Amino acid sequence: MATINFGYSINRPRLIDIDRNNLRKSDEILLEMPELQTCIGCGTCTASCTAGNLTDFNFRKVHTLVRRGEYAGAYEEMNKCMLCGKCRLLCPRGINTRGVVMLIKRKLGDF
Amino acid sequence: MKKRVAIIGGGVAGMQTALRLKRTGGIEPVIIEREEELGGKVRNWHVLFPTFTPAGEVLGALRSEVAAAGIEVLTGEEAEEFTDRSVKLRSERTIECDAVALCSGFTLFDATLKEEYGYGIYDNVYTSADLERMFSEGRVAMADGSAPRRIAFLHCVGSRDEKVCQRHCSKVCCITGVKQAIEMKRLFPTADVFNFYMDIRMFGPGYEELYREAQQRYNIHFVRGRISEASPMMDGRVQIKSEDTLTGRPLRMSVDMLVLLIGMRANDENGRFADKAGLTLAQSGFMQSRDLFLGNTESPRPGIFYAGAVTAPKSIGETLNEGFTAADRIAEYLGVK
Amino acid sequence: MTFFAPFTIPFIVGAGIMFFVLAWKYISWLRGLPKDDLKLILRGIPTTATLRSVWEVIRESLLHVRIFRVNPVLGYMHTSLAFGWFLLIAVGWIEVVAYLGSEFVPLQGHVFFKYFAAGKIANHIAFFDFAMDLLLAIVLSGVLLAWFKRLRSKAMGMRRTTKHTTGDRIALSFLWFVFPLRLAAESITAAIYGGGGFLTGSIGKALHNTLGTAVLENLYEPSWWLYSCALGGFFIALPFSRYMHIFTEIPLIFLRNYKLRPTHKESTYDNFEVQACSRCGICIDPCQLQSELGINNVQSVYFLRDRRYNMLSLSVANDCLMCGRCEAKCPVGINLNTLRLNSRDAMRNIPDERRYGYLRGLDRSEGSGRVGYFAGCMTLLTPKTLNAMERIFESAGEEVWWADRNGGVCCGRPLKLSGETDSAHKMMAYNTELFRKHGITTLVTSCPICLRVFREDYDLDGIEVLHHSEYIARLINEGRLRLSGGKGTFTYHDPCELGRGCGIYDAPREVIEAVGTLMEAEHNRRDSLCCGSSLANTVINDSQQLKIAASLTAELDATGAETIVTSCPLCKRAIARCAADRVRDLSEIVADAITK
Repeated sequence: MATINFGYSINRPRLIDIDRNNLRKSDEILLEMPELQTCIGCGTCTASCTAGNLTDFNFRKVHTLVRRGEYAGAYEEMNKCMLCGKCRLLCPRGINTRGVVMLIKRKLGDF
Repeated sequence: MKKRVAIIGGGVAGMQTALRLKRTGGIEPVIIEREEELGGKVRNWHVLFPTFTPAGEVLGALRSEVAAAGIEVLTGEEAEEFTDRSVKLRSERTIECDAVALCSGFTLFDATLKEEYGYGIYDNVYTSADLERMFSEGRVAMADGSAPRRIAFLHCVGSRDEKVCQRHCSKVCCITGVKQAIEMKRLFPTADVFNFYMDIRMFGPGYEELYREAQQRYNIHFVRGRISEASPMMDGRVQIKSEDTLTGRPLRMSVDMLVLLIGMRANDENGRFADKAGLTLAQSGFMQSRDLFLGNTESPRPGIFYAGAVTAPKSIGETLNEGFTAADRIAEYLGVK
Repeated sequence: MTFFAPFTIPFIVGAGIMFFVLAWKYISWLRGLPKDDLKLILRGIPTTATLRSVWEVIRESLLHVRIFRVNPVLGYMHTSLAFGWFLLIAVGWIEVVAYLGSEFVPLQGHVFFKYFAAGKIANHIAFFDFAMDLLLAIVLSGVLLAWFKRLRSKAMGMRRTTKHTTGDRIALSFLWFVFPLRLAAESITAAIYGGGGFLTGSIGKALHNTLGTAVLENLYEPSWWLYSCALGGFFIALPFSRYMHIFTEIPLIFLRNYKLRPTHKESTYDNFEVQACSRCGICIDPCQLQSELGINNVQSVYFLRDRRYNMLSLSVANDCLMCGRCEAKCPVGINLNTLRLNSRDAMRNIPDERRYGYLRGLDRSEGSGRVGYFAGCMTLLTPKTLNAMERIFESAGEEVWWADRNGGVCCGRPLKLSGETDSAHKMMAYNTELFRKHGITTLVTSCPICLRVFREDYDLDGIEVLHHSEYIARLINEGRLRLSGGKGTFTYHDPCELGRGCGIYDAPREVIEAVGTLMEAEHNRRDSLCCGSSLANTVINDSQQLKIAASLTAELDATGAETIVTSCPLCKRAIARCAADRVRDLSEIVADAITK
């Protein structure tokens, strides 16, 4: 299994410096998908995640970091998602999680 | 001549409203209860949070007061529809009255709708209501009769969940989860108890203290994460999956018992009652009060009043207080002092 | 007789430009085809496919049989315009031959024969006067209907009609005027020179009596100029407007009969399908995004339009349930879903070798047997189905290999539906290898989404792929399941991917009838509604999904059946949001009816 660390390890304490982070992309993402703000971080998406069962992919964490302006590695992480849709079926807030994955990939990817 | 008030529902709200009305001296309340005895949902509860007071104590006191006051009680009778001046019963009888107090409470969320938790499919998945029944019967055990060694409680089942069209918070499940976890720990001191939650909402007197006691004195584990799925294991236990959101890692564990803390949803009858009586429903399906501040126990229609969980999830204490308030409003409306 | 007059220039120029553009388009599309497609064409030409194509061209391009079936009034409108015009040309040509014999007559001579022949023919052949007028009258009735349709689409059995582009409006205006102007020109000619049948002749007489010869002489040339300009204008606008479909449908029919199809990658063949769309708008009404949510810029007609003019946006391409309801109704038979898929592929595919490296070597399956069961990701969230299937396998004495009960790898269809085709193929390769490794000969799945991708994209030679409804029906027919039933009443919801997607309508109904009474919903089989939870749509939000599910549930409830049955975990969960515990998977009702 490829074990590239994209900076989501618990062992690397790192300040999320909102003052320094450029929130432009984050704002754009939230403008297109305002419902992402309703996430209460219950973790159901990550718990049910087909890809998260096989890798260290954590959808909740990645999109939360993206919302805080922490973009590094987010695109690569989102590329682990299989878009199977289990999370969308379970999300208690009714967030269009598959749409979020595609949106983040589109905004932070290089295509 | 005495005024007559029909009270729909003989739970704690209905009984309390009736008692207060009766005490005015000028009002003759009549309680319509579909079950064979008074008490409502509380009948199925063992002890009450946060004091572990036996539910029977509270119900017993209310019931004997109702009996002593000579309040007319129609048990086994279900209201079909009503207006402010009459209540039509299923039995085709009609009760004429001068005002109506709707105290019909709530409906418990049906846990089978959260199919992924396996309630009704796997052994050893229970609801909080099942657990209370087991407490009352004095026999808490796994399906095969053995004592549980690891128990998980899941908060917010059927509350705050778009997927089952229940957006609201049911208010009392958090503290119920804490109370039941402590009870389990008292019954099975060596068992590990885990509570899985999205948010813990300890709003009432003594609640936060009880939460703290659960953690400190009873060593109950609180995991911040909602369980996504449960699956059966060969030995009849249940495997659950969640994310431990505070560490950001998926979590998997097997438990002997999974207890689903089911929420309160709007009473199934609300839609029909509202249609016939011209009342309005809140988005949650509960009855909409005239005003959340100054008319909480009044409907938008004169002569129809609310008390208890018919308008929103409430604790028993709040419900009892509303019984008094509603009764006072009714007395005012009927000009009885 | 000479066959030139200055007024014919607009017509000649217009027709010339049109034929040039058409030829240029078709040749460049054909040249761009992949080699295999070209081989298919060459092999197909000397076969009966060519004859079948000719017959189909007559049926569809001229008579519009399919539109007639969907909507008779619209069918008449199209037939009167298309076939009427065709006959006008054909009969007009015969008329010229009848009068002039084998003399060479240039194109404009045929088209404006009434002008060139005016005053030069001694004996009019009454049949042609009558026939040409009758045909003109038929075409004009079609034009009238078209006008009426613009004003009142509801009266034509369509709740909504297409919003037009500017090019379309220009072409449409020219087209609307072609025939009234022809009527005017021919009537004035008849008024001055005599001739004409019941229509042009009578109008001619009336004009002669009311206006007098002097006025008519002044109107004569201008009326032919106008007619020629309308024709020329229409011809120039045609290749750039929706009227391109008139000609494009013909090569499309041939290519289709030579077995050319759009694939998950864009190709120049797609142009034949895209430009064969007449923008009739029949696809708008069946779309539940339109009827339930009021979204009206994403339907197939708009998707094809946007794609054709290179203005397709992701939000339009992605906002589709791909339920296939429109495809089932399309009178041109365009592969709407495939075209949308390959558009998404063109916009979204990310060929990245490094992605999904984590799949290598995974195997979480359990058990062993010739029959493999692939629950599908969604079925893991409907454990009642899993339990029921286990019960069914057990009762039938089937040894089963469980592919993904402990969590498997997605079938790949969701990625394919969102355009990430290359990634999807990684899932497909992984699962294929897994199935082969365990030596199964039958693969059963409870998820129609998985079923479809297994059948369409996987290379599973030697492994029979069955949906659990088919598998259960087979067990019942083989006497391997003993069921008691007859009491309950059920209605059945056809999942899109299972019904329109894989053509499985009968197996689930057979199974239901083995355990109870089936009550059909208003929309069923090929016409059934979508539950709204389709994985193909990543644009609509949760409450919009719920709204679609609610309308579906209301229809299913209207049957009065006690239980709603479906055979897709996604549909089941969507309906459960509205019908609570009254919805069950097909396998559940079977498992409950097992007597043993």
